[in-house]
Amino acid sequence: MIVVSCKNYLDAPPQGSLSSPVLQNNKGVKALLVGAYGALDASGQYNANDITGSYSPWEVSPDNWIYGDVAGGTFHKGSDPGDQGTAINPIARMTVNPQNGFLDAKWRADFEGVSRSNQVITTANQTSDLSSQQKNEMIGEARFLRGYYYFDLKKMFDKVPWISDSTTNYQQPNNKDIWPNIEADFKFAMDNLPGTQSDIGQANKWAAAAFLAKSYMFEKKFQEADALYDEIRQNGTNSLGVKYQLTPNFEDNFRSTTQNNSEQVFEIQQVANDGTSTIANARMGDMLNFPYNSPFGCCGFYQPTLDLVNSYRTDGNGLPYISESNKFAYDDTMVTNDQNVAPDAQFTPYQGHLDPRLDWTVGRRGIPYLDWGPFPGTKWVRNTANGGPYVAKKIIYWRSLESVEADHSTWAPGTAINVVVIRYADVLLMAAEAKAQLGNLDEARQLVNQVRDRMINNPQNWVNYKYNEAYALKTVDSQAAMLALDAIAGDYVVRTDTKSTWVLLKGDPSNINNWNEYKDPNYKIGEYPPGSFTSKQDALTKIYFERKLELAGEGHTFFDLVRTGQANEQLNHYFQYEGQYVSDIKGAKFTDTYQYYPIPQNQIDIMGKDANGKPILTQNPGY
Amino acid sequence: MKKILQLWSFSENSYAKWIFSLSCCLLILSINSMAYSQNTFQVSGTITDATTGEALPGVNIIVHRMTIGTASDANGHYSLNIPSPTDTLVFSFVGYTRILVPVEGRHTINVKLVSSTITGQQMVVIGYSTQKKKDLTGSVAVVNTQNMIAQPVGEVTKQLQGQASGVTVVSSGQPGEAPQVHIRGFNTFGNNTPLYVIDGVPTQNISDLNPGDIESMQVLKDASSSSIYGARASNGVIIITTKKGRGKINVSYDSYWGMQYPKSGNVWHILSPQGMADLAWQAYANSGIAVADMPPALLSQYGSGSKPVLPDYIKPAGAKKGDPSVNPSLYYVDPNYTDPAQLNGFYQIMPANKSGTNWYSEITKPAPEYNSNMTVSGGGNLGNYLFSLNYMNRQGTLIYTYLKRYAIRANTNFNVSDNIRIGENLEYSTTNNPQSSVLNEGSAIGFSYREQPIVPVYDIKGNFAGTQAPGLGNPQNPYAYIYRSRNNKGSANRLFGNMFAEVDVTKNLTVRTSFGGEIFSNDYRQFNYPTYENAENTLSNSYAEQHYAGHNYTWTNTATFQKTFLRNHDVKVVLGTEAYDNNYNNLGGTTQDYFSFNPNFTSLTTGSGTTTNFSSRGEDKLFSLFGRVDYNYRDTYLLSATLRRDGSSKFVNNRYGFFPAGSIGWRISNENFMKNITWLTDLKLRAGYGVMGNQLNVDPNNGYSLYAGNKMMANYALTGSNQSTVTGFQQTRYGNPDAKWEKDVNADFGIDATIFNGHLMLTGDYYIKDIRDLLYNPQLPGTAGLASAPYVNVGSMRNRGFDGSIEGRGTLTGKLKYDATLTFTTYTNKIIKIANNVNYFDQDGRRFNSGAIIRNAVGHPMSSFYGYKIAGFWNSQQEINNADAAALKASNGDVSVYEQDEGVGRFKYVDTNGDGHITPADRQFLGSPNPKYTYGFNLGLNYKNWDFSMFIYGVQGNKIWNQVKWWTDYYVSFQGAKSTTALNDSWTPQNHNATAPIQEAGSYFSTNQVPNSYYVENGSYLRAKNIQIGYTIPSNVVGQFGVSSLRFYVQAANLFTITKYSGLDPEVGFNQGAGNSGSYTDFGVDEGSYATPKEIIIGVNLKF
Repeated sequence: MIVVSCKNYLDAPPQGSLSSPVLQNNKGVKALLVGAYGALDASGQYNANDITGSYSPWEVSPDNWIYGDVAGGTFHKGSDPGDQGTAINPIARMTVNPQNGFLDAKWRADFEGVSRSNQVITTANQTSDLSSQQKNEMIGEARFLRGYYYFDLKKMFDKVPWISDSTTNYQQPNNKDIWPNIEADFKFAMDNLPGTQSDIGQANKWAAAAFLAKSYMFEKKFQEADALYDEIRQNGTNSLGVKYQLTPNFEDNFRSTTQNNSEQVFEIQQVANDGTSTIANARMGDMLNFPYNSPFGCCGFYQPTLDLVNSYRTDGNGLPYISESNKFAYDDTMVTNDQNVAPDAQFTPYQGHLDPRLDWTVGRRGIPYLDWGPFPGTKWVRNTANGGPYVAKKIIYWRSLESVEADHSTWAPGTAINVVVIRYADVLLMAAEAKAQLGNLDEARQLVNQVRDRMINNPQNWVNYKYNEAYALKTVDSQAAMLALDAIAGDYVVRTDTKSTWVLLKGDPSNINNWNEYKDPNYKIGEYPPGSFTSKQDALTKIYFERKLELAGEGHTFFDLVRTGQANEQLNHYFQYEGQYVSDIKGAKFTDTYQYYPIPQNQIDIMGKDANGKPILTQNPGY
Repeated sequence: MKKILQLWSFSENSYAKWIFSLSCCLLILSINSMAYSQNTFQVSGTITDATTGEALPGVNIIVHRMTIGTASDANGHYSLNIPSPTDTLVFSFVGYTRILVPVEGRHTINVKLVSSTITGQQMVVIGYSTQKKKDLTGSVAVVNTQNMIAQPVGEVTKQLQGQASGVTVVSSGQPGEAPQVHIRGFNTFGNNTPLYVIDGVPTQNISDLNPGDIESMQVLKDASSSSIYGARASNGVIIITTKKGRGKINVSYDSYWGMQYPKSGNVWHILSPQGMADLAWQAYANSGIAVADMPPALLSQYGSGSKPVLPDYIKPAGAKKGDPSVNPSLYYVDPNYTDPAQLNGFYQIMPANKSGTNWYSEITKPAPEYNSNMTVSGGGNLGNYLFSLNYMNRQGTLIYTYLKRYAIRANTNFNVSDNIRIGENLEYSTTNNPQSSVLNEGSAIGFSYREQPIVPVYDIKGNFAGTQAPGLGNPQNPYAYIYRSRNNKGSANRLFGNMFAEVDVTKNLTVRTSFGGEIFSNDYRQFNYPTYENAENTLSNSYAEQHYAGHNYTWTNTATFQKTFLRNHDVKVVLGTEAYDNNYNNLGGTTQDYFSFNPNFTSLTTGSGTTTNFSSRGEDKLFSLFGRVDYNYRDTYLLSATLRRDGSSKFVNNRYGFFPAGSIGWRISNENFMKNITWLTDLKLRAGYGVMGNQLNVDPNNGYSLYAGNKMMANYALTGSNQSTVTGFQQTRYGNPDAKWEKDVNADFGIDATIFNGHLMLTGDYYIKDIRDLLYNPQLPGTAGLASAPYVNVGSMRNRGFDGSIEGRGTLTGKLKYDATLTFTTYTNKIIKIANNVNYFDQDGRRFNSGAIIRNAVGHPMSSFYGYKIAGFWNSQQEINNADAAALKASNGDVSVYEQDEGVGRFKYVDTNGDGHITPADRQFLGSPNPKYTYGFNLGLNYKNWDFSMFIYGVQGNKIWNQVKWWTDYYVSFQGAKSTTALNDSWTPQNHNATAPIQEAGSYFSTNQVPNSYYVENGSYLRAKNIQIGYTIPSNVVGQFGVSSLRFYVQAANLFTITKYSGLDPEVGFNQGAGNSGSYTDFGVDEGSYATPKEIIIGVNLKF
């Protein structure tokens, strides 16, 4: 009796999951599409694979702070030397080897996005209740995303295997250039997506166009890029149909409540306190990158370099110290810093001319750190000898927005600040670059000025002492009133009579010598005058530098350096200059081998060998 | 009791069974008082032990083939009225050979019973059957349960260490922490836990079994003995039988009380606060960094002079006594803050502890333990009964860890008629067991070697002090860390047991049915306090609660046929079916933002912030048919064969598997040519071969490609919201419908010998196990995405080994008797294949990130250590230049440096492949945590009323990866506490013969960035696990109080350990952080263990 019934007895269907046919309908495809977007924030996938697969969120942060900024010489790894040093130090020092596990994680995270995008396409094609327009739009978004993931892989690794929705064998070689495939995906998306979508998070026609144009730039197809950039500037809108234009306030692009604005071409959406009790959707990849010994909790990584800060020095006309003939003039003078200054010792910030974008990009002592008060300097820096005195700013949440933007579910903070992938300033500077490449120097200059004008025309957006008012101990109008305050070390006071911020460094508040005054920085920014782009090379040098100033800390630098052929010159200068002051990259050298990251050895191994016994994946030259 | 009844209602009809067995328990109490008035002939006498001459109470005496009987009293006397003077009496007693004595008209019959362990007549329980020990043809270790339960740990799995050959147990000092138990090497990459069969009911978990209830324990080691358990046999099977009542009412009370003492002194070899500061100055000087260029935070504590000066206060940094900044009136800390913004307004003042805080001793303390066991038992012709109640409370030497357990057992057995027996075995237990995580940097123990000694436990107002004081690194206050866990509570409840009925259909045929299983539930709740004293603080408060519950049943039906044909042919046949169904579910949630942190207030509903809930569930089933045949001819030629067919719900296309096994035995000593060898009592040769299976290592969903939503991974804020996401789906799993059992093909050759009339017994086995079709989930190429790769049957490995035991017993002089057992276990484990194109898999990166410590590779044992081998230090720049020049030459100009980051005083690595420079290809295997052999030695001595016992356990030939040294021996490995080695025995231009490399401010490939041989140490040890002296008060003294036996004892556990290992404790198990599935392939890495404490115990055994 038991024997007869045991066939059914042994059936135990899977719990809590669905098989593929259940998803072959409008709702199912849409859910898979959301899932394909969900892979953008790869840091949330950190424990996706059980045995050998787990990686840490920062290894796959979609803003590429390690691979774009630390490798690009605009940021130090930060923290203590040994903290994540095994993997990141070699990347910063250009000695990375194929065994580096971070690269394996990055490779797999991007291919997870490819895989999810392919599932959308496959399932949409199997679904009968979609109209052909619906189907093309969904496939269009999926191909946009697939293009995005491959674009990221291509700029990291160069030689990348192509897996499409029709691929059934995942063992594919990386012996063909995939730019044509990436172009085709963005082209399809551009042709099939509407300009206006129902949700701001969805990619639209113009996001696809911007990525297509950027692909052209990587391929040095400047004609095609130029034409497309013209069209984008003419007609482009964000996903809700708002015409592209720069926002008046630079920092609006780095604050969750003001993001998704007219400048946003494509952002990776983040949320805080989403009910998961984790920060998986809260920009987890940057969880380490907050000031140390501070109200943020952790961990003192991702520190801007001295070289980057010097870049923001401007001359009497408000122009940077850069020209084709002297590419490193900006490093001739160092912006005063507190590398060796104790938190309770007096410090006077640099009083020379500075581009106001500096203080929306870098946290430095004495300058309002958003609305957290004047940055207290080395008190909030983990190890100055290893990472310098500065901290990042574009990824930091405002104190007044802490309840909205910050997520304290775990040992390091998450934030709802979106990852900016392409914003309109990037489009304008790329367009300028295309113009310059085609010899159209004056149009290029005007486009650069268009970016600079935002700052020039909005001085109310320059960082000043008033940002400290919100949480100051008090705002007073005289020294006597300040000295009478019952202040303790670390308290700061805004003074309307001096138009500055005063911090009590130590001891007795009635003694003026215990107070440190921080005046507002001496900002100066101007337009490039007509004729100032003296040659194609000079124009390009200035455009590249403008990218550094405008886009620092957004993950572009290293890829820009390689794309424009400047990596050798720029990075070796950086190592030589910065290495005098900060130990982590002291003595490092760049050689051309390192312009692309090595194909992860683990991937070469598990991909196996072809019929001739050769590995299916080919390593990049030099590794 | 109400709870039990509710739990029972999970399965239908169970309620009735419970009531039935409960009422039966009550009935049985009157059995002994029944009178047998029709009997006329009286027989009486005394029963004694044939070897010791002691009276034996509780011996069963029945009239052969009748239900008339009695039991001997406390003095071994019995008296019985029997129907006829021509009857035959049967004397039986557990542990003794049963004898039949014809009355032949005698009124007085004195009997000497012979201990069955000596004669081999002892019955041992094997798979679905019993066998005489002397007739065993498989490899079965019979555990001396008396020796075993003398270990005062309270968990059977830990007590088993060293008591059975072939069984390896790696444990820790933490109460309730599951040890690593594996039988004969390793049988799978996944879960190696043996199958436990308690009173016929299989289970994977015996953590809550009361050791005092164990009557006997057998370890089935080879295929011929265990493959009748088919798909669950591969990890070995441990069969446990719980105690039964017998004889007149017995009440026994066993209790002990003891203290456990943690290691004291500077266990991590940490520097003094001044030493710490001096080391910082040295490291920066070695790196060519002037004092003025050192990090301001460091200088703020120690000044910027050429020599560091200890401050009076560490927060405000470097403050001196009397400084206005340390005025207590400035102090403000709200330890229970609820808004992260408040942290900004705190003003904390922390003194410097210039004499140094010993953090290990702050978090450990001598801990009491108490165990008490009360048993009431008895039995007669109509059946028997046993109740026991166990309470145990073992506090941990790490504060706020403990194991508390209440266990109650009822075993009853009824002879319903001559040929029908019905009974039940049931244990209900409740366990409270908060544990601390071990062997990792982020635990209380981990923080105790990381927090600097200058940090005091408390600040000036009694709140916690910590690394919020600048320049002191990032560890958490270890005491605060564990103190904040004090209100976390958990309980595990479990009802385990079975009910059975047995019918003798004919004289030769018995059928039996048993329905058993378990119902369990685990609850855990935890409050996470915000912190304020550390460099990296938890800013939110949250509460989490989890409930894990499940039930499973096993329904077994067997028919046993036993007959002797033609006098000399003994045949026993067992046929059976078994059904197993396992269900479990998991439910939990968290909430943030509590108005109050009072533990009586916090619950999932009382928080005001983000709430999260989750659940999961699963089910798996087995259905099996099995049979066994045992045949013996003249007790000399023995043969046994088993076959099982298992069906498992975990597999799709290969649902059924067959597991055959056979063995033969030849008792040479029975042959005529051996009869003259009088010193040889018994000699038997055995050989067995068979196939065992394993299905633990596979997820029930393994066969299916699946999609699921996941809020963390697939959802996305498509709408641009800051607070909520839209549901997304992703592929979660690739299915492999073709997966099947892991197959363990095993050959075993054994010898059993009894010499000098039972004074010496030897058992030895040599085995080879080839494990094929190992389930492994080879990583898919990244191009396939991150959906879980399925398990496929690709791997194989081999174990060979020898295990054996020697037991001696007898009388030395006069009344001094001894009993000694040596068990001996060896295994060599070798991975033969992992997967196509996969020759290794790496694990356990720790702070080396992707540079893993463990490599499981073809041709090597599991969990081998892997890294660069250190050749020595670079003693001069000239040495480096020469090596570089040689590298340039060897590579024809391609490579200009021998080794990345080479520098004077740093490590020079061995160029393993001889290509002239160091690359990842130069890494090599640096040793293995697998011991060459382990041994256990039990010695028991008896002299008059005194008894003495001792147990020594040893492990030889293993290596340990001492990861603690990464933290303490390099200045640059985070700014935590450092060792005396770093300051006093590191490389300097004057000290080339150093232990540690030069201390520097930078982290390098050639110092602390990669796994290398610096961490590998000899892990051999010998430990006196148990020494016990007891005294039994003579029965003529206590007898007048109605006491039949009273014994007191004192005991010392873990009194000494002999080892060269420099860490806290050489007993290092698996990495808990790796989770259950990964753990068996990743062990022996010590990053701060929960050391086994020394214990002093006094105890009492009392019988009425």
